[in-house]
Amino acid sequence: MGDLLVFVLSGLVSGALYALLATGLVLSYSASGLFNFAHGATAYLCALVFYELHSGLGWPAVPAALLVVCVLAPGLGWGLDRMMFRRLARVGESAQIVATIGLLVALPAAGLWAVELLADAGAPVRPAENQFGLPGVGPSPARSWRLADGVGVDSDQLITWAVTALVAAALWVLLRHTRLGLRLRASVDDRSLTELRGISADRLSSVAWMIASGLAGLAGVLATPLLGLSAHDFTLFLFVSATAAVIGRFASVPLAFAGGLGLGVLQNLVAGYASFAESVTGFRTAVPFLILFGGLLVLTRRARTAGVASADSPPPDHLAGAPWGRRWGVWAAGAGLLCVALYTVTTPFWSGLLAQGLAVGLVFLSFTVVTGLGAMVSLAQATFVTASALVAGLLMSRGWPFVAALAVGTCAAAALGALVALPALRLGGRSLALATLALAFLADQVLFQMRWLRGGDAGWAVPRPVVGPVDLSDDRALGVALVVLIALVAAGLGALRDSPSGRAMLAVRSAPAAAMASGVSVLRTKLLLFTLSAGLAGFGGVMYASYNTRIAATDFTAMTGLVWLAVVVAAGVRRPPYAVVAGLVYAVAPRLLSDWVTESAHLPVILFGLAGLALANDPDGYCAAVPLRWAKRRARAGAGRTAAPRAGTAPGAEPAPPAAPRSGQPSDAAGARPGLPAGVPGPAPSGRAPAPPGTGGTPARRGVVPGPALPAGRGVALELRGIRAGYDGGNVLCGVDLGVRRGEVLAVLGPNGAGKSTACRVAAGLLPATGGSVLVAGRDATRDGPVRRARAGVLLAPEGRGIFPALTLEENLALYLEDAGDRRAVYDRFPRLGERRGVAAGALSGGEQQMLSLAPLLQRPPAVLIADEPSLGLAPRLVEEVYALLAELRGAGCAVLLVEERADAVLGIADSIAFLARGRVSWCGPRAEVDAERLTESYLGVAR
Amino acid sequence: MSRTVRALAAVAAALALVCACNSASTSQGPAPGGPSDRAGNARGVSADSIKVGGIVSMTSASGYSKKDTDLGARARFLRANAEGGVAGRRIDYIGAEDDGQDPAKNLAAARKLVQQDKVFAVSPMSSVTFSGADFLQKEKVPTFGWGTLPSFCGPEYTYGFNGCLVPSPGGTLNQTWPEGIGRVLGGARGKSVAIIANDSDAGKFGIRTFQQGFAAAGFTVSYAKASVPATAVPSDWSAYVKELLAGPDGKAPDAVVSVMQTPNNIGLFTALKRAGYRGVLTDPTDYDPGLLAKDATKQALDGVYVLLQFQPFESADPRMERFKADIKAAAGGQDSPPLNMHMLTGYMSADLFLSIAAKAGRDLTVESFQAAARGFSDTGTLVGDRSEPKGQKDSFGCGALVRLKDGAYEVAVPFACHEPIPFK
Repeated sequence: MGDLLVFVLSGLVSGALYALLATGLVLSYSASGLFNFAHGATAYLCALVFYELHSGLGWPAVPAALLVVCVLAPGLGWGLDRMMFRRLARVGESAQIVATIGLLVALPAAGLWAVELLADAGAPVRPAENQFGLPGVGPSPARSWRLADGVGVDSDQLITWAVTALVAAALWVLLRHTRLGLRLRASVDDRSLTELRGISADRLSSVAWMIASGLAGLAGVLATPLLGLSAHDFTLFLFVSATAAVIGRFASVPLAFAGGLGLGVLQNLVAGYASFAESVTGFRTAVPFLILFGGLLVLTRRARTAGVASADSPPPDHLAGAPWGRRWGVWAAGAGLLCVALYTVTTPFWSGLLAQGLAVGLVFLSFTVVTGLGAMVSLAQATFVTASALVAGLLMSRGWPFVAALAVGTCAAAALGALVALPALRLGGRSLALATLALAFLADQVLFQMRWLRGGDAGWAVPRPVVGPVDLSDDRALGVALVVLIALVAAGLGALRDSPSGRAMLAVRSAPAAAMASGVSVLRTKLLLFTLSAGLAGFGGVMYASYNTRIAATDFTAMTGLVWLAVVVAAGVRRPPYAVVAGLVYAVAPRLLSDWVTESAHLPVILFGLAGLALANDPDGYCAAVPLRWAKRRARAGAGRTAAPRAGTAPGAEPAPPAAPRSGQPSDAAGARPGLPAGVPGPAPSGRAPAPPGTGGTPARRGVVPGPALPAGRGVALELRGIRAGYDGGNVLCGVDLGVRRGEVLAVLGPNGAGKSTACRVAAGLLPATGGSVLVAGRDATRDGPVRRARAGVLLAPEGRGIFPALTLEENLALYLEDAGDRRAVYDRFPRLGERRGVAAGALSGGEQQMLSLAPLLQRPPAVLIADEPSLGLAPRLVEEVYALLAELRGAGCAVLLVEERADAVLGIADSIAFLARGRVSWCGPRAEVDAERLTESYLGVAR
Repeated sequence: MSRTVRALAAVAAALALVCACNSASTSQGPAPGGPSDRAGNARGVSADSIKVGGIVSMTSASGYSKKDTDLGARARFLRANAEGGVAGRRIDYIGAEDDGQDPAKNLAAARKLVQQDKVFAVSPMSSVTFSGADFLQKEKVPTFGWGTLPSFCGPEYTYGFNGCLVPSPGGTLNQTWPEGIGRVLGGARGKSVAIIANDSDAGKFGIRTFQQGFAAAGFTVSYAKASVPATAVPSDWSAYVKELLAGPDGKAPDAVVSVMQTPNNIGLFTALKRAGYRGVLTDPTDYDPGLLAKDATKQALDGVYVLLQFQPFESADPRMERFKADIKAAAGGQDSPPLNMHMLTGYMSADLFLSIAAKAGRDLTVESFQAAARGFSDTGTLVGDRSEPKGQKDSFGCGALVRLKDGAYEVAVPFACHEPIPFK
């Protein structure tokens, strides 16, 4: 019993640190939706700064710790959020994962480099080498007390417990009982809705990142006596605490916190009682990763059924359909030149380096398959490399020929890949990445510890093959052979991509649900991809090992795999040649830097890491960025060139907007219009040369469309002028003019896909317009985002329900009505809401939810309310209630822009009506002028 | 037009690459990429100098640095040059490449030293990885370093400064540690030891060798397990303390032998002391005067016996005095940095190279060097009695125990050479 108590008590120490880190992970994940692999690196950096302040500059411990935890760490979080995380929140998941992995590598190196530079400059810093027994905040050496027989605590443990408890309490107060906490929780719940309420989610995200970094800094300072100054250990520590974040499902701070504490205890108990596994070398070492892997499998199941795989669509391929020469010419020429150079100009040293780069490039091609083609992030590629090389080395030591060993090694890696994939593939995105990471560590610590496989510390010799007259022990010959192999693999991948399986892969990547509906087995396709990628990594691994002429189990560790991923994704994973470029850069860049820039080993590491930062701008990597930008510029120039003559030859016919809406009859516009009754403004003026998209033909259009949609004079609360807008690759609105006065309801009707919701989003600032302007109370607000629009009084009640489902009813109200008296007034008016004020809003009925989203507005009417299909899914009686509310708002002077698909009820409340069809206002006028024919048109979406 | 632009860009890029490769090369022009197997290989040897370089883990992800190895080597070469060099040639030591404990960088460093800098020998080589070993062997580069890796045991061009420290079955075991602990305890008969290591293959191997060694010296081995997680240092040691102290008859062992690294030892020893253990604590890694600089480590390691396989810095041997003076001179004179075993590694690696080179004499080629190495022996150095090629199979078999007491190391069992036992 005494044992148990000791295990639990001391387990709570590491548990407290896990809890701090996991809480930070959850906060930052909630704030910007990305799992911060660099969280441990942040903790390390803070530990380093604390050490330098305390031991180097001689500051007292507590002020140094306070400065680090309360100022520097939050500052770092703020800076990273501004520079990186905020933008990363908008790119694909693999780019997010990789960018933070890059940071994981770069941050510690940056810290070490800074210390080096400071020392050179004569500052009294200590060298940042790992040392043991570093002082923490408390006395050093730690004072210890014996509580009972065999049960003791020391001052460092006590400090960790006390501080963690304090932080837990503070976090609870902050999140539950402050306005900031309420807003934070709201933005976690629904980020864009928060912005629509005029609360800057960006600022909240900054706050969340600052708190998260502060927590990481705190964990770093507290862990200094335990972990010393090892960036590696801090990162390992973080991966373990990721388990706790998984327990909290990346959303619940209290669960993550408790999970962290429990994890520490569990780990201790397993270490104390797992004598059953003594025969398995590495089992105890691997316990945290077993827990992580198991936790991911068990706990992410629910998220999985929600069906969110990383739906990350490939960018438009500007070379699609281009002849072979254009697609591959440059690369073929490059390969040829490289081969020639190997035999003519490069010195033996450089030949070796280039051969190494090519071998790494071959390994990197496996990322092109799994991440480029499959949009899955695998952090276990180094494991496959080691596995296959070890198997091949083992076989060659038994006298097998190289080719046979290569084949078996490749198959072994592929088999391992399939084995890894089977349980892990059901997970998506970051969970899959974490699961592969856990497996990579498990392999390092258990599988590759098996003596018969690893061949002791020396590993196995992998002599280079002699193929006929070609002896590959010459680096130049090896280089050429690798170029040939890479070309073959690239050709194979190209063929695969164009085959039915390849199309299935792309389908699964872009839209798993749709792929499943079309009879593609998502699991089988992913399994195939993963296996293929593992096999390819294994193949490259044997070649790489034969470049080294030896493989040892420690040559390519899980951490190596992380760095590889960062390097290759930074270059780009969409096309095979990019991987080869990444390999060459990886091999050559450090040498070039050290020859010409600096001897410091840290700079190349920083640069490799920071390449991940660039992903925030170019999620497809630097190799792809150059030609893509070229292609875009050329396309833009080309579009201008081709559009002009077309307008000249066919006057009066407005060309279809680029990538026309899904109507299927893009060019009917001008032809259809003359049928409209005279005097009704048509949005398609004749005889006007179309302007290129983006510049907009607004002034001309405004001149032609004076109608009721643009009420002249004062009192216009919101006005859209010639708005063009759309989403990637398609225009939805092609010049929409709408205006609504104070105290007026303008109903916008139209069929599905007419662009109603898009118009709402543009009006609310959620979607930037590509042309035209938005005026709020006569002021141009086109460039304002949702926050500024909301603050200017334009409120959007979005389609569905504009509520925060995870917050209680009361908290939902409090976000808009800060004054308790206002809230009471709402309850007086809607007793039904008052009865359920403590209920989570997500648990309310549809009608109650709609009431909840509109009721507070009565207390503080906004200048403009944009209601996007408020009747959606409500019973007729409730619809009436909702409309009554809207009418009341109108009475209070609010300008209401009411968007509906169904016209019947709307006609009773609207002052004027606008019909929207195919991205244009097809008719607009007072309600009295609406007749049945127009209504039918609007429903059926036909423009006669 | 775009195609021309692309082609031009490709050519320009290729040219830039080629220029980079070329300008970074040395002036000797292209040489065949294969092994240089001309008769009388005198790479790096000129009429008045011998070029030598090193490979050392100066930085690493774990923050652990061996950079003082470079200083040690520099110190030894400085003295050699001050004394007139080796057979009329001064040593041109170009410094050590940092391999960052990264296998890929280790090999790249070896390649750079041989192919670009064209060194005659690599000394010192001290890292946790030695993936450049095969390359150096193929290129016939005499290499000297810390023999903690299997690559120092067997290959004909690789020499450990105190021999090969990784025993292989059929070889021998260095008995310094068991014999020394026996002396500390006043005889091994009836005494028990508990041996603990990291939960990894290397840890298991360590358990195997020391279990045999201590048993051969007459100890009862009450516990021998590789049970401590190998990657992250446990924050809590109670589970291990409980196991270690519960001997077969419930009696705590007379000595606890840790075959682990410093951070583990600090945790384990602190926990053992806290649990009231009063027996002998010993490990092979904590002889680092840098540890005395911090109160926490000083206290944690107080009373611990540390094994070393060279003459302790505390000894009064005149060679040790000279070592200290040389380090001081190499560090710039004024204040001598705190001594550590990395300095000695570098110093004695250089020393072994110089001694063999001196034996090879004026006609220095790789072949003459290797011939001199075969049958090389001397006695009474800071690492005891050296002889090759024995040192390429076994350790030199010498060592001492020091004890950390009241903030200073003191020699507990003086440096001596013991008869090794066969390793089964």
